[in-house]
Amino acid sequence: MEKEYKSSYFAHVLRLAVILIVAGGLGIFARGIFLPETMGQYGHYRGSDIQDQRDVEIRNQTNDACYECHRPIRMIHKAGVHKTVSCEVCHGPYADHVKDGKIVGKLPVKRGLEIKDLCLRCHNKVIKARPETSIKVVAMPQHLEEKKVQITHNCNQCHMVHDPFLWVRAAYEMMGLPMKGETK
Amino acid sequence: MEDMKAIQNEIHNDRRGFLKKVLAGTIGGSLLMVYSASGQEIAEQIPGMREEDSVFTKKNFVFIVDITRCIGCGSCCVADKNEYNVPDGNYRTWVERYIIDDHDEVFVDSPNGGLDGYTKARTDIPHPVRDTFFVPKLCNMCEKPSCTQVCPVGATYKSEDGFVLVDAKRCVGCGYCIQACPYSVRFLHPVTRTASKCTWCYHRVRKGLLPACVSVCPVQARKFGDLNDKTSEVYKIMREPHIISVLKPGMGNEPQLHYLGLRREVV
Repeated sequence: MEKEYKSSYFAHVLRLAVILIVAGGLGIFARGIFLPETMGQYGHYRGSDIQDQRDVEIRNQTNDACYECHRPIRMIHKAGVHKTVSCEVCHGPYADHVKDGKIVGKLPVKRGLEIKDLCLRCHNKVIKARPETSIKVVAMPQHLEEKKVQITHNCNQCHMVHDPFLWVRAAYEMMGLPMKGETK
Repeated sequence: MEDMKAIQNEIHNDRRGFLKKVLAGTIGGSLLMVYSASGQEIAEQIPGMREEDSVFTKKNFVFIVDITRCIGCGSCCVADKNEYNVPDGNYRTWVERYIIDDHDEVFVDSPNGGLDGYTKARTDIPHPVRDTFFVPKLCNMCEKPSCTQVCPVGATYKSEDGFVLVDAKRCVGCGYCIQACPYSVRFLHPVTRTASKCTWCYHRVRKGLLPACVSVCPVQARKFGDLNDKTSEVYKIMREPHIISVLKPGMGNEPQLHYLGLRREVV
């Protein structure tokens, strides 16, 4: 009689212990299923995400990448004051043009007034925040009046977009006149 | 003469084999010419980056934005949108225009995040303007990020090399981190429905390229480099007596993004 009494005395504790162990086991099992394998490898995050982040596609390359093929423009662009301007900002990303060494698409060439818009993104004098040390700014149409050309002229009629002073310099040389310190 | 005979004999013995070799050489050679132009040999922009093969880089990267040089052209925003195909209306980086008048009133605007550049002057400033400048914004890569602390699933984290990144596979899109960021650089990507933000172009940096925005900046207003490298430009700037500050220093996030020539009005 005494034995039976003892077993029932501990039964509820035993039951609770079994339930806790089973629940804990289930929890660990579920954790194993739902957590990614590399979770917690380096910290509280998925360790393999570092590799995933490294594998993101590079879509913008450097100007040097463009120069690899576009040789004539390289000579002009690298010689002028626009050498720091990125090809891809005006023409679009490298990855839309070349993929795995093959040409996959044509990049747009800006024409007409689109060119003027592009020029004035940087060279517009009405935006007063532009530091003189960084860039030369002009007011439109005052610049055209000052240079005594028609008010309807587009920027690229005088300025070669890849080297803005290429033609201007050539014109001055042809006339045998010195340039008024316009090239930096 | 003897050699020629030997070659001729060889050709006679195995005409098919000889032709195969010639063809393989021609095709192989021309293929090599095509593949050499595949952009693999582009000079690395971060010295010594391509030799590193460890999981985390040993370099200590900082980002410096020079307010005194920025012209607000928005090239960085264009490059950023191109690099990540950022959906319209969301910005991983953007450029703000600050105008301070002589009554100490501050006016800030950023039409389309500066993506289309600044084309119009502001006409609604009541008093004479004292100063006006551009402030490019991007992820501050905090030493003590608020965003990683609040993530319930461990999707956003600070890696050992100091980059705060978002695991798009793990993110559930709850938006806690977006609210927690003191600099509002995070947004919910409308396509993937996960949090997204500037990564300082982690994938480019690990392959030795500068972040896209740094690479395209025509006036070198954005600088990126390794503080451990004593020859780098950022090291020189950080050592010299410049006005260098961070955004919202009172928040205690200790950003690794520093601003050169920042006025106190900027938030």
